[in-house]
Amino acid sequence: MEILENREEWKARFEEWWANYQRTGTPDWKAYPLPRNSTAPSGPGVDLSQSRLLFISSAGGYLRDEQPPFDAAHPLGDYSLRLFPVDTPLERLAFSHDHYDHAAVEQDPQVLVPLRHLEAMVDEGIIGALAPTVVGFMGYLPDVTRLVDELIPAVLEAVRAETPDAVLLVPA
Amino acid sequence: MNGYATTLTSWNAGRTRVTMPPRATFTRLNRGATLGRPGDAAQQRRVLKATLDLLALDAPQKPVYLDETAD
Repeated sequence: MEILENREEWKARFEEWWANYQRTGTPDWKAYPLPRNSTAPSGPGVDLSQSRLLFISSAGGYLRDEQPPFDAAHPLGDYSLRLFPVDTPLERLAFSHDHYDHAAVEQDPQVLVPLRHLEAMVDEGIIGALAPTVVGFMGYLPDVTRLVDELIPAVLEAVRAETPDAVLLVPA
Repeated sequence: MNGYATTLTSWNAGRTRVTMPPRATFTRLNRGATLGRPGDAAQQRRVLKATLDLLALDAPQKPVYLDETAD
């Protein structure tokens, strides 16, 4: 199935939006073409208590002292990944994403990156195991064709390497 | 994400629903605090647990609306 249905129609509307953005210097979000699909992916459920869960975050998190931040100010976003260990101490995370207020996540990173909650759920037997790596990106990605062509293949490669049974996404 | 059971939670039902996620919970929490109020571990755990519980079900599932707010 297609990740983005009616891709060419969407791309044409996006190019109009982007041209207007470049002309005016301001994004007109009322005119932005939200991606819309008609079909949801199908697949079997899993017994989470016997499964390996991988966590994906689009909060723009990265390792403060070891990784470069995302290009949060770019008008078309940043389609790269940051991978970090699921047992990362929360104080080692920083967030580069200009499209949400960081007050909550700076006070309590688990509002977006619930690493300690997930570990507790493993200890309680709710989750079988956690994949060792968190897959992270910055969720401001207005060009959905670039998301499909660049980001998703990279995410899938990172996911396959972790051999999970299930995946949790928490957007910002 | 073909071949993997996936689930998500979002505070933005309107924008997320139209992308047809296979499993999702929707809340009335705030942008930037998707799982709950800062410091409110119990709320964060409730949202997380409800979202993870969907993994037991075959996809696609209708989205589940949680009575979780930022107030």
